[in-house]
Amino acid sequence: MGRFPLAQLAPMGDAGEGVQHLAERLLGPGGGMHAWAMATAALVAAACGLVGTLLVVRRMSLVGDAISHAVLPGIVVAVLAGGRPGGPLVLAAAVATALATVWLTERLTATGRMAEDASAGVVFTTMFAGGVLLVTAFASRIDLDPGCILHGVLELVPFDTVAVAGHEVPRGFLTASAVCAGLALAAVVTWKLQVFTAFDPEAAAAAGIPVRGVTAGLMAATALATVASFEVVGAILVVALLVVPAATAELLTHRLHRMAVLAAGLGGCAAVLGYLAAWRLATSAAGMIAVVLGLQYAAAVCFAPEDGLVIRGLRRLALAWRVACEDRLAAYWRAEETRDRCTRPVPVATTGAGRFVDAWLAATGRIARGPGGRLLTARGREQADTVVRSHRLWESWLGRHAELPSDHLHPPAEWIEHHLGADVRRRIEAEVGARARDPHGRPIPPEP
Amino acid sequence: MMSGIPDVVCCVATAPAWLAVPPNTVVVAAGVAAVGVAAGVIGSLAVLRKRALAGDAAAHAALAGVALAFLATGRRDLPVLLGGGLLAALAALGVLVLLRRYTRTRDDAATAIVLSVSFGCGIALVAGLTSRGVPDAAGLEHFLLGHTAALTVADAALLATVSAAAVVVAVVGLKEATLVAFDPGFAAASGWPVAAIDYCLVGLVAAMVIVGLPAAGAVLVTALVVIPPVAARQWTDRVPTMLLLAGLIGLAAAVFGVAASALVPRLATGPLVVLAAATLLAVSLLAAPERGLLPRAWRRRSARRGAA
Repeated sequence: MGRFPLAQLAPMGDAGEGVQHLAERLLGPGGGMHAWAMATAALVAAACGLVGTLLVVRRMSLVGDAISHAVLPGIVVAVLAGGRPGGPLVLAAAVATALATVWLTERLTATGRMAEDASAGVVFTTMFAGGVLLVTAFASRIDLDPGCILHGVLELVPFDTVAVAGHEVPRGFLTASAVCAGLALAAVVTWKLQVFTAFDPEAAAAAGIPVRGVTAGLMAATALATVASFEVVGAILVVALLVVPAATAELLTHRLHRMAVLAAGLGGCAAVLGYLAAWRLATSAAGMIAVVLGLQYAAAVCFAPEDGLVIRGLRRLALAWRVACEDRLAAYWRAEETRDRCTRPVPVATTGAGRFVDAWLAATGRIARGPGGRLLTARGREQADTVVRSHRLWESWLGRHAELPSDHLHPPAEWIEHHLGADVRRRIEAEVGARARDPHGRPIPPEP
Repeated sequence: MMSGIPDVVCCVATAPAWLAVPPNTVVVAAGVAAVGVAAGVIGSLAVLRKRALAGDAAAHAALAGVALAFLATGRRDLPVLLGGGLLAALAALGVLVLLRRYTRTRDDAATAIVLSVSFGCGIALVAGLTSRGVPDAAGLEHFLLGHTAALTVADAALLATVSAAAVVVAVVGLKEATLVAFDPGFAAASGWPVAAIDYCLVGLVAAMVIVGLPAAGAVLVTALVVIPPVAARQWTDRVPTMLLLAGLIGLAAAVFGVAASALVPRLATGPLVVLAAATLLAVSLLAAPERGLLPRAWRRRSARRGAA
């Protein structure tokens, strides 16, 4: 194992310089710049993942979409009024615009009598169009341009720096850290309120929680995350950071707090990986971050441990295989029952997939070759007993309770015989009697 | 360039020569106006069916299709690019249907995922092509916010043809679309193929969004489908009247956008079209005789006077 270059870093005696040096060793010349850009992207991605978790579980993903478009005119006006990008004035303007957007959408839904999605579509496209026009009209007075609005300028983040305690730190990084820390703190403090409101707003209102205020707080948090992400990934791809990691995390866990942490982590990973990919492929960092987020989601759809398509397919396959094996064992059991009674061998059909099932049953010691063909072993008989017992008990129970003619009892029993537990079998037996016969007059085997 | 264009269009093109407007601009305006009309008509049906934002995901996905079509053919002809866009839009809608059926992800989150990830692919493709200095690739950025100045007469004819076809389909299927929009349960019980009608409607919306791309751009084109119907809805309770009004409002917005962007080439067309439509919507919300805020306030005042 190679020696970590700590020895070379230590004599410099300056942590900031050391990190820069390490980044340059890892990433090549200019590595420090790339490290700053990646750290900024990861921070805003984590903030968006946190907020997005609540948006996704509240079915408000498209409100996040609308807000991320609609804050643009607020930002532009604040910048024209002398605010710095990422400064407090711009943040406040963005929050105000976001709340105004939500309010306008509600008003339009009420007065215009339109569905909510139509109102949202009207409001956010109009506000975004206004913002783009303002940017174009005052292009000489602000250093935003339509391209920056749409896909961000993550690559330029490291060049706009301010001095903090003697170090040059990118302004975007400072904004991102402040917003990320603030949102994490707010989430920890108000978590219970947010969760209660998200899952049962009526009960929350009845319990005296200011539901509208909690929702407005979430909208304000969305606006803050959006405006911090604006120069990193641009207006439209903020939606990717808000929704995709949260939806990915939702596929991976069923607990809300785990989902929030996971979403923040996934967002951060995607930001770093997307940046590196964009750098290698010489393309837009924001675009590649969205692509990586999409790949993460696709991977979760396929391979999530409980809900993934692969595991669900395997589970279905395993069930089908178990049903096939049990049906086959029951067929042998019935063949032997008939043979015992009338001393006439009944051939058990062996066709198609049945051959594989037979091979598997023989390999696992549940059937074996005997004098008159294949016979159940003791172990196979035990399992077959259970299946046939479930089948016949269910037929008896249906015959008593469902008023079905006796030739309609077989199909439902054929289906449920694979799913009845010992407890249900015992209760049915207690009802129909221990030595009862099934509706076709055949004996019900005892519990093995 | 003018070959294959109907004579009527040529007459329209040459008539306002005395206005000193380039004839090309007039033809392009006519093509985009046709898109505005058709988007208003189709959009009305979509908004009534509560599928207003179906076009948004399709429009964002179209950017990747446009870039891929350019990459595959190396040509920047509008029919090729829009064909690629349409394929990508339909693919995105297909993925959306699959996500809804086979995952736990909620509908709105699935829409946002398809929209943002496909748009990210598009941005990455366009930026990658531009940074490699591929000739002509820079023009692809015009599909983001709309830019009609570069359209040719043949392009305008294509837009107008597709729009006309879409309007014909919508008018032929008007009864079915209205039924499904207002009472899907009754429609299904009467044996109408509700799902198929919905797929047709969303397909039409996707087609409108694609032909709207040159005028309004991927980001804002959904407004062409949403705003005129909402404005028209304020004036009437009749579906055919709403379709007609929405078409007219779409036409006015499109013509204004093209004209303003022709006068000030620096401005992208998309925001202008959207703001023109939004202005008409604001007028409708204030002044529509039955529902408008001003007439309602006036009636309330006179009622109060009458009571006193």
